Amino acid sequence: MAIVGTPVQSSEQRRLKLAAVTTVYRKYSHAQHIVDRLLDGYGWRGTYHHPSMDLVSLYVDQVGPDDLSRERAARHPEMKIYPTIAETLTCGGSKLAVDGVVLVGEHGNYPRNEKGQTEYPRYPFFEQIVEVFRSSNRTVPLFSDKHLSWRWDWAKHMYDTSRSMNFPFQAGSSLPVTWRIPSIEMPLGSQIQEALCICYGGVDSYDFHGLETVQCMVERRQGGETGVRWMQAYRGDKFWQALENRVWPEDLMNAALCRSHTLTPARQGFNDIFPTHDEMRRLVKNPVAYTYEHEDGLRSTMLLMNGLVRDFNFAARLKTQPKLFSTQMYLPMPDGRTTLADFFSPLVFHMEQMFLMGKTQYPIERTLLTTGLTAVGVESLYRDQSRIETPHLAIRYEPSHESTFERS
Amino acid sequence: MVTRREFLGSSALLPFAASAQSGSPVRVAVVATIYTYLSHAQHIGDRFLVGYPNDGTWHKPNVRVVSLYVDQKPKGDLSEDRAKEFGFRVYPTIAEGLCCGGDRLACDAVLIVGEHGDYPRNEKGQILYPRYEFFEQCIKIFKDSGRAVPVYNDKHLSYSFEKAHAMVAASKQLGFPMLAGSSLPVTWRLPDVEMPLGAHIEDAVMVGEGGSDAMDFHAFEAMQCMLERRKGGETGIKSVQLLDGDKVWEAGKSGIWSEELLSSALSRSDTPLGLTVKDGRTQDLVGSGVLPSLVPHPAAYLIEYRDGLRAAMLMLDGAVQDFNFAAHVRGVGLISTQFLLSPTPNVTYSACLVSKIEQMFTTGVAPYRVERTLLTSGMLESCLTSRLQASKRLETPHLAISYNPPSESQYCRG
Repeated sequence: MAIVGTPVQSSEQRRLKLAAVTTVYRKYSHAQHIVDRLLDGYGWRGTYHHPSMDLVSLYVDQVGPDDLSRERAARHPEMKIYPTIAETLTCGGSKLAVDGVVLVGEHGNYPRNEKGQTEYPRYPFFEQIVEVFRSSNRTVPLFSDKHLSWRWDWAKHMYDTSRSMNFPFQAGSSLPVTWRIPSIEMPLGSQIQEALCICYGGVDSYDFHGLETVQCMVERRQGGETGVRWMQAYRGDKFWQALENRVWPEDLMNAALCRSHTLTPARQGFNDIFPTHDEMRRLVKNPVAYTYEHEDGLRSTMLLMNGLVRDFNFAARLKTQPKLFSTQMYLPMPDGRTTLADFFSPLVFHMEQMFLMGKTQYPIERTLLTTGLTAVGVESLYRDQSRIETPHLAIRYEPSHESTFERS
Repeated sequence: MVTRREFLGSSALLPFAASAQSGSPVRVAVVATIYTYLSHAQHIGDRFLVGYPNDGTWHKPNVRVVSLYVDQKPKGDLSEDRAKEFGFRVYPTIAEGLCCGGDRLACDAVLIVGEHGDYPRNEKGQILYPRYEFFEQCIKIFKDSGRAVPVYNDKHLSYSFEKAHAMVAASKQLGFPMLAGSSLPVTWRLPDVEMPLGAHIEDAVMVGEGGSDAMDFHAFEAMQCMLERRKGGETGIKSVQLLDGDKVWEAGKSGIWSEELLSSALSRSDTPLGLTVKDGRTQDLVGSGVLPSLVPHPAAYLIEYRDGLRAAMLMLDGAVQDFNFAAHVRGVGLISTQFLLSPTPNVTYSACLVSKIEQMFTTGVAPYRVERTLLTSGMLESCLTSRLQASKRLETPHLAISYNPPSESQYCRG
């Protein structure tokens, strides 16, 4: 079904109208971080930025006692809350009545399956959104937060639909677009020999952020992204055995750890001390590793080390440089460290740019691949940490030439 | 008594330089007020014992701590544990510390960390840390031994400008490198921007938070490391004035400090308080007019430089919890950034500072001028005097301190 996208109006002609489709709108839910920035603006590049577009309609799937959407609607009368996704997109009428859609299907009370995946309804929401596109015979750009879906076939279907219906589709984590400490970029065309991210959080949750961290760097290598051939997960004792067996290189792990600002002191009385393997083992009760090989032979690894770090750190070995490449993808995290999760600011800014230009700011294929990798990681853990061949992840794409991480 | 000529004649840095060149570790004496968990002495001193993160590696300095003096041993004192584990002694006096129990200077560098501990406050609210007194005792050993070695003094030189001035004068007289100050000038910046050398700065606002005379000092050091890079270099300070309470907001309304720059600085903050804490929302703190209700006790430290530049350092407890700067630069526009104070307990920003200290200890060259900290020590004291004198504007002829900034940027970018 070929539907022509609406030419994007210049902001001087008319302010764009956006709809947001969310699971839950409470303090520190992704919807709160994202939609609040569209409603109230945010500190951005040395000024207070007010987006040049209006969020006019909102759908919230679950409204609990801690809901904030009603307070937001009262304070922003230009935004109406609708009981269905279709009405949100049509603003209560019969046809699509907005210029862009923001889908935030993160947080909320949804079933957790036997593999440990939370079944956030991103795909069903997406289907309802494109149904309005179809019935209105018009499409608009869509942003979808985090991975596309917990199910690979659904994610692939979302991607294929965006292609066949020809609308700009942007998705993913804030990790690729947030600050880096130090503020460095992987040079385009680098010959990367091996890459690793060390981070924290849960399976089917922050593992996705770790995979996006790796992917936004390695996709810039010579030849671009070629897709992934196989993946294997390690957990608990098998993780420590894999570390001893050098399944991933220790020097890359150490370089990444040296970028952390949240290294748990392994010894009492010391505030910042590098841990031995035994100390890591004592601190990290349930480590998880995903190791995978790309089609061109590159090996990448994502480590979840809860108890050791609370940040996202990347390291890579480049063929032409004796020194390892490493940086931290910095998340000012409101868990006591900050009050604002300002890593959402670049995510929202790039969203705005997509809506204004009618063009994605970075490739959706990155998030298609990391969605698939997350699902395979979960599957490998579920299948006794076996290696899984991934012919379905032979996803080739080129990175955007312009760097999109925040640095100004 | 050693005269200056005799001292210089027998001086000073040659044995030190030879030691560094030979590759043997630089022997460091640590002089501290206290050594408890998360005291400055602990998180700075420990990095010389266990290493620290530096540009993607765990760096082990070519430094050996040979002695430690601690002025107070409160509950939680770690000094004896460290001495036992790392093979040095805790000495009962500074003199013995520097001489390692002998009768002559027996170290190649001195690390003075006079921050934290139980010391009285004066009527200006300054904590009377004995940094000058510690330093004087080090100088006496240098003179008696006919040899001087590099000294790092943590934070401001002294609560008293007169004492601070004497410290810097002694380092010049005896010809040893000296470094001092805060980690703010050397920590990472978000974004990673430097004030262009020779910039024509028209106006500047620095925002900080926390108590005096600890956190206001850090904010001054952050501000000064940017402003000293302006056209003509640092020229010193003509006058200071500290405003409290509603006078702070009135001064903003009348243009004494720039609300636009405040807004720009706050746009860099990741820690707005008030409704952000309540329900997570973003807030235009300046544009919404909410600021005065969040900050019950604001303070504006107004600085007039001798070359005409005016800057304001605003302490806004209750508004934010980080340190942010903004300036108007002719031909460039607004420059703004956050000086990153990374989280406790790692406080990795202090590793940025230790790498500068280590650089001085191993090369004998201070990477930036101690005059910056002499000036910030003096401007802080004068501002607190202004507060005591009902916010009177004070001429500061004693702060006619000129210096040039280092041509190379010194903040952490690796």
